[in-house]
Amino acid sequence: MPAPLLAAAGRGLWAMGDGGPLARAIRAKLAAALQPTHLQVLDESSRHGGPPGAETHFTVVVVSGRFAGLPPLQRHRLVHAALRAELAGPLHALAIVARTPQQWENDPLVPPRPPCLGGSKQERRRDAAGGDGDSPRNQ
Amino acid sequence: MSGVVRAAWRLGVAAARGPAGRPLSQAPAGRAAGGGAEGSGGSGSREAVERLVRAHPVVVFMKGSPAQPLCGFSNAVVQILRLHGVEDYRAHDVLQDPDLRQGIKNYSNWPTIPQVYLNGEFVGGCDILLQMHQNGDLVEELKKLGIRSALLDAEKDKDKK
Repeated sequence: MPAPLLAAAGRGLWAMGDGGPLARAIRAKLAAALQPTHLQVLDESSRHGGPPGAETHFTVVVVSGRFAGLPPLQRHRLVHAALRAELAGPLHALAIVARTPQQWENDPLVPPRPPCLGGSKQERRRDAAGGDGDSPRNQ
Repeated sequence: MSGVVRAAWRLGVAAARGPAGRPLSQAPAGRAAGGGAEGSGGSGSREAVERLVRAHPVVVFMKGSPAQPLCGFSNAVVQILRLHGVEDYRAHDVLQDPDLRQGIKNYSNWPTIPQVYLNGEFVGGCDILLQMHQNGDLVEELKKLGIRSALLDAEKDKDKK
């Protein structure tokens, strides 16, 4: 395929696939911290009462050798550590699938996400009413 | 196993849709904000949280209540516990208490809700509880607390057939 066409196709895929600025930041930080062999960063905000692309609720699927020998709690803490700034900011909820390459090979399925029950809508009402002292939304 | 869990989501959604939509009763407007989550004696202080997590073998910090969860992840925890026949546990609604909401995150150094504590020890959130449920660890951990999972009885019935 000619180079310009390939580049254009790449750009189109990038625009579709990589998501908004927070998704890209999450992806970059997880890549740097955990050198994953497989990484999915999914903006699930629209499933939690927000508009599509709201970038408040994410699911990350991280497959990394760094998780070997670590219990789930420690694996999740590694992910949290990589995303400390985002979690202190606009990232409201984070679902994590953390597997070693071996585990991923044995089971490349992601469990179904639980349905939203409107919690964040309740919270927005409370925020409007005077806030709950939670993370400063400074982005 | 995952079929059972999917059934649990559906059960949870059905259960939540019943009472869902009723307005959450708000904390009184004039409530003092206090000196921040870690203010001495405040509900979010280390001491206060420690008391809560040690008050019962199974303690959950969630959004909403077991009868009316207000978050899918919190509801997942409730449904998993229900599957195991664990109905007697302490649940704290962090939406009712901003100091507790921040305090529990500081205490466990964990940024999100829900949070599950077994025997006073932080175990993880919804994803981890789900994993423990799927791989049999939850049955074992409950056994250590002297709680017999209802799933063991279900298994026994299955074997009989």
